[in-house]
Amino acid sequence: MSTVNVSRRKFLGTTAVVGGGLVVGFSLSGCSRAPLPIEKTEGSLVPNAFLQITPDNVVRFYCPRDEMGQGVTTGLGTLICEELDYDPVNLDVAFAGVHSDYGIPGAGIQMTGGSGSIRAHYEQLRQVGADTRALLVEAAARDLGVARERITTADGHVLADGERHAYGRFVATAQTLTAQEGAPLKAPSEFRYIGKELPRIDSIAKATGTAQFGIDVDIPGMHHAVVVRSPVAGARLKSVDKTKARQMPGVTHVLEISSGVAVVAEKFWQAKTAAETIEPEWEDAPLGAVSTQTVRDDYQAGLQTDEGLVGPEEGDLDAGFAAAETVVESEYWVPYLAHAPLEPMNAVVKLENGEADLWTGTQSPTVAQGLVARFAGLEEEKVRVHNAYLGGGFGRRATMTHVIEATELAVATGKPIQLLWSRADDMRHGVYRPASLMRIKAGVDAEGHLSTWDAARVGGNITPDSIENLLPGLFPGLDASTVTWMAGLSDDLTKGWFADPSSVEGLHADYDFENLRVTHTTVDHGLPLTFWRSVGHSYTAFAKESMVDELAEAAGVDPIEFRLSNTKNNPRLHNVIRVAGERASRMRPGAGHHLGFAAHHSFATDVAQVAEVSVSSGKIRVHKVLCVVDCGTAVNPDVVRAQMEGGIMFGLTAALYGKLELENGAIRESNFHDYPILRMDEAPEVEVVILDNGTEPTGVGEPGLPPIAPAVANAVYLATGMRVRSLPFDLEASRVEGLSQWRVPPRDPFWPHSGRV
Amino acid sequence: MIEFELNGEAVRTDDDPNTPLLWVIRDTFKLKGSKYGCGAGLCGACTMHVDGVASRTCTLPVAAVANRRVTTIEGLGTPQDLHPLQAAWHEHSVPQCGYCQSGQIMSAAALLASNPTPSEAEIDAAMSGNICRCGCYPRIKKAIQSVGDTSLAYNAAAGREVNS
Ligand code: FES
Ligand code: FES
Repeated sequence: MSTVNVSRRKFLGTTAVVGGGLVVGFSLSGCSRAPLPIEKTEGSLVPNAFLQITPDNVVRFYCPRDEMGQGVTTGLGTLICEELDYDPVNLDVAFAGVHSDYGIPGAGIQMTGGSGSIRAHYEQLRQVGADTRALLVEAAARDLGVARERITTADGHVLADGERHAYGRFVATAQTLTAQEGAPLKAPSEFRYIGKELPRIDSIAKATGTAQFGIDVDIPGMHHAVVVRSPVAGARLKSVDKTKARQMPGVTHVLEISSGVAVVAEKFWQAKTAAETIEPEWEDAPLGAVSTQTVRDDYQAGLQTDEGLVGPEEGDLDAGFAAAETVVESEYWVPYLAHAPLEPMNAVVKLENGEADLWTGTQSPTVAQGLVARFAGLEEEKVRVHNAYLGGGFGRRATMTHVIEATELAVATGKPIQLLWSRADDMRHGVYRPASLMRIKAGVDAEGHLSTWDAARVGGNITPDSIENLLPGLFPGLDASTVTWMAGLSDDLTKGWFADPSSVEGLHADYDFENLRVTHTTVDHGLPLTFWRSVGHSYTAFAKESMVDELAEAAGVDPIEFRLSNTKNNPRLHNVIRVAGERASRMRPGAGHHLGFAAHHSFATDVAQVAEVSVSSGKIRVHKVLCVVDCGTAVNPDVVRAQMEGGIMFGLTAALYGKLELENGAIRESNFHDYPILRMDEAPEVEVVILDNGTEPTGVGEPGLPPIAPAVANAVYLATGMRVRSLPFDLEASRVEGLSQWRVPPRDPFWPHSGRV
Repeated sequence: MIEFELNGEAVRTDDDPNTPLLWVIRDTFKLKGSKYGCGAGLCGACTMHVDGVASRTCTLPVAAVANRRVTTIEGLGTPQDLHPLQAAWHEHSVPQCGYCQSGQIMSAAALLASNPTPSEAEIDAAMSGNICRCGCYPRIKKAIQSVGDTSLAYNAAAGREVNS
């Protein structure tokens, strides 16, 4: 079965799809009409939505973004503390409820992703700190009868006339003053915390088991729910026999909800055991006819159609290929992937007196609130969201089927419900990184310029599927048919009018191309897709950086030299390549080890990586990774390092093992035995070099990931002579499939396919 | 009714004896530090000590710990009174999302209790049953080594034999 949808329309430039009409102005004073979701302690100061300072000098920070491991509480807390003059380690952090003041500045909604938190809040939260400090200084001046100019601050204290007073001493007076906005910010040379190696502020909670994740929420009267869903996405329930499950110990309800059949019991294990006795029958769904081979065949057909939407386009491809001395063409394949955060999806919903409480770890409290409101039939203001630590996000926790399920069950049973997905549920009923087939044909001229680049991608689109999942929560008041219409519209747009930017990002940038074209063909079999750590870059970097290595070899140029001479227009990327290259030349790989190189720009950050790899008996071993990153100002260099380390391990898991296989529309993998995650004995040593150029900070949560797969692939080539163009690496399969053979391309200036469009 | 020792206290439960220890600890005794990650002994998030041995409790029926000693992360140390490994975890900023870390620390504590100065290969062997999806492995290893080093220094200063 194939749903190839091709047409030939052009689009001008890259258009980002953004939700309209959601922009809400930020106000430090929280003067939006809705009250702040803050519990104020007696006598404490709440100068704005982000801070509460008690008389005994506890400073509580209401973190507007979600902590999924990326260190956002530490990073954003550091921004506030820098200007407030308060040691970040002492900060008491709470996750903000839903309120317009907590939206992403300039975007309005509360959502965490796109490696954007530090970038988005860099100015705003320092200003919050500075204004709050100014307020406390003013209060101290009055209380102490000292001129403001003679007061300094440090470490949560006011210093005046040689005396030291805790901020808390002045909160009573501060409450009587009107907070002013626009206090001057420090110059970077005055920074005490930004740019310093400070410990994470959540590490003690996380090392003692006291950090509360969504799954840890436990409220009186709470019942536990497990849902049995169709193995094939989109299949409706045909029939189910509930008798046996109903008689199992502890079971209070067995009922049908939108996503399947739910079992509710007093304890989780009872619900799970009873759910195992249920064997529903499902209707057929279109995806049921699809297996991995269907996907690959249909993508291959899509690639052969010579049609598709033309994305970014510059110069003259024909002329470029005609002038090229070296032309290489290759295809690259990557499979569907699950995010597999270690904490499976879960949510607690309680309905009482026309109000709702939701406890969950979410990447979007705004959407979560909207979903509960929609499915409980409440106004959004009646829904309180209690965000928790996220046991991993990676894009997965912006889609919240689990919140819908828990809400439906709370409505149906009248009880507070904790819903928990099993690992197999997470693997088989989630939302996925799309599979992709890519082809790049590129030409290098006689002077070694990588002048001509013709790239194509076939696969499903990330943006429309994600929009479809977000819309019901973003607009809880809109009826279902309008939501379906809007979702269909974005789907149609990316199928027929312009290439989804997320689908092709990273496939057409970084090098000094003069003649460039990207074509996109949507072939979508209906498996739900979404953002997965580094989104499109997670596969485009593999194709792009593998191809650049192939080109360098074909042109007879050292791959690092080749990258340097073709990144003149991207000075920051050029610089990380230069530094990584210099360091690579000093690395001393062990006997039989090889160094592979790759570089990529994503989320406004530039990263180059060198992977030291050996291959023995077909097994790839990555011993060491050198990672050079330029992310502007590194607010906390140690957190930047940790994110690079984490991105590398995540990308390496995908490169070495990651794949989901479809069998008659069902995902075959179910747990970590057949969807392996890199373990300690396979983890490379990682050395991170941060080039802090003092400019505004850029992303770090995702950019460490894209270069690792191609860096390893390029090393594997040196070790084996085999170009592996398919993920995950499978040297044996690659040999058979022929996606891996290295061939010197014909040096034909009139490459036969150059007039393809 | 099954009786056992939980973090130094005698406890009893009338949960179904087949219930995995993890869920008895989490849902009956309300200690939430031990996590569910896979339910199949594959990830180590649920690791506790049973008579001092690191055990995957998501597949261990509570009946199997009758009259035995169970220690969870809560019994290892508290924010006010950190176990040396927990202090090292803070010092090296090990956790990212943090979800795996209770299990990681329980595995590491069992390792160091039997082998205070493990080699890198011994750390790999003892820790490879614990998945960290966030990829904190280099830091976990460094933190374990730092505690191992401390105990090595301590033992050397005290003139003791160390088994290495
Ligand atoms: S939850 Fe027990 S090993 Fe994964
Ligand atoms: S810190 Fe997230 S799984 Fe280990």
